[in-house]
Amino acid sequence: MKRYLVYALSGIVFLFVLAVFAFVLWQPIQVLPRIRLAPAFALLDQDGHWLSNEDLRGRIVLYTFTHSRCLPPCPQTAMTLKAVQERLRQQDLGGVPITLVTLSFDPVHDTPAVLKAYARQLEVDERQWRFVTGSDPNRLKTIIGEGFAVYYQARPDGSFAFDPVYILVDGWGIVRGEYRYRTLTPDVDRIVRHIGVLAQEIRRSRGAARLAYEAAHLFLCYAP
Amino acid sequence: MVRTAVLLVLTLFVIGVAGCWRPYTFHGMVMQSPQPAPDFTLMTHQGQPLRLSDLRGRVVVLYFGYTFCPDVCPATLSEWAKVMRLLGDKADQVQLLMITVDPERDTPAKMADYVRHFDPRFIGLSGSVDEIARIATLYGIYYRKNEQEGKDYLVDHTATQTVVDKDGYIKLIFPFSATSDEIFADLRYILR
Repeated sequence: MKRYLVYALSGIVFLFVLAVFAFVLWQPIQVLPRIRLAPAFALLDQDGHWLSNEDLRGRIVLYTFTHSRCLPPCPQTAMTLKAVQERLRQQDLGGVPITLVTLSFDPVHDTPAVLKAYARQLEVDERQWRFVTGSDPNRLKTIIGEGFAVYYQARPDGSFAFDPVYILVDGWGIVRGEYRYRTLTPDVDRIVRHIGVLAQEIRRSRGAARLAYEAAHLFLCYAP
Repeated sequence: MVRTAVLLVLTLFVIGVAGCWRPYTFHGMVMQSPQPAPDFTLMTHQGQPLRLSDLRGRVVVLYFGYTFCPDVCPATLSEWAKVMRLLGDKADQVQLLMITVDPERDTPAKMADYVRHFDPRFIGLSGSVDEIARIATLYGIYYRKNEQEGKDYLVDHTATQTVVDKDGYIKLIFPFSATSDEIFADLRYILR
């Protein structure tokens, strides 16, 4: 009698440990890390409308940082974003809204009208892609430099030295992915795949499934 | 026969216990990657400077609001006042800081009156317009003056609450909709 009990108990413990191991090893659920808070902002877009981080709450947002006079060999981050936008047309995110945002760190030159022309020239879907900038260079430095942790510096000739990067933010305003231009090729595949992973988590992470998703976060089951 | 039945009942009991035992799931949004909370120094409602990093060893709750706030801020602060009561003795390890998003109107005296109304342990903080803007930006808190025709202006602002753990890392984000019971459960777990 006693022996049966010991068997039963150890069996249950063993199965539990096995289940945890299986979860960690095979990672049936993969997630993107919650890296840090994205900064707050209220900036003007290419149509002269205000866009704030609060307007984007509940949406997946992919940010990039550049200026409109960025010509090769200046890194063409907009082309990657354009490819992402085209790929997203074929991707089913299950109704999770997504917005692309290009933040210009050159407010003196990049007025809304200039950004409008820049967007037109790129021939992108402007309903989904906003081009924004601010009027106060100090505030902009706080948002981009400190908040998004993106380096940029004006050069004497009016051009900029900057870190070409894409930042993925979830609907809570939390940074979930950072991608450096052309260090992990192909950028586009990885970004689009990660957007899919994030959209899936947003859709499915409810009720009992939320437990499994939180376990995936706890065990660092991060999508490659 | 009896032995099998007893064994079956015991097994089911053990499975039941194992099923109930699971890792704690937070109600607030958890930040796994440790992000150091951006440091700042602001003036308390008692006119003394307070640096966030001086509060290491206590759980700090950052709430951005203003005293003219018609509904959102009182609702949130009432919930937190309830949380403080529920925490009992452990409330000593929790410090709520209300940072004004309306530094032009929120004088120390006004802030003192306001926070005392909810819980005397709450601290109201203010600073220069630029300093507040910088801090709010880094914590992802949006705010903007909303001018009303012929009336006092309102300030639209993000209503989330940020929990900084005892080591100074951002740990949890609570939405406006979080109830005192949910917040209490999460804090009790952090302070266990």
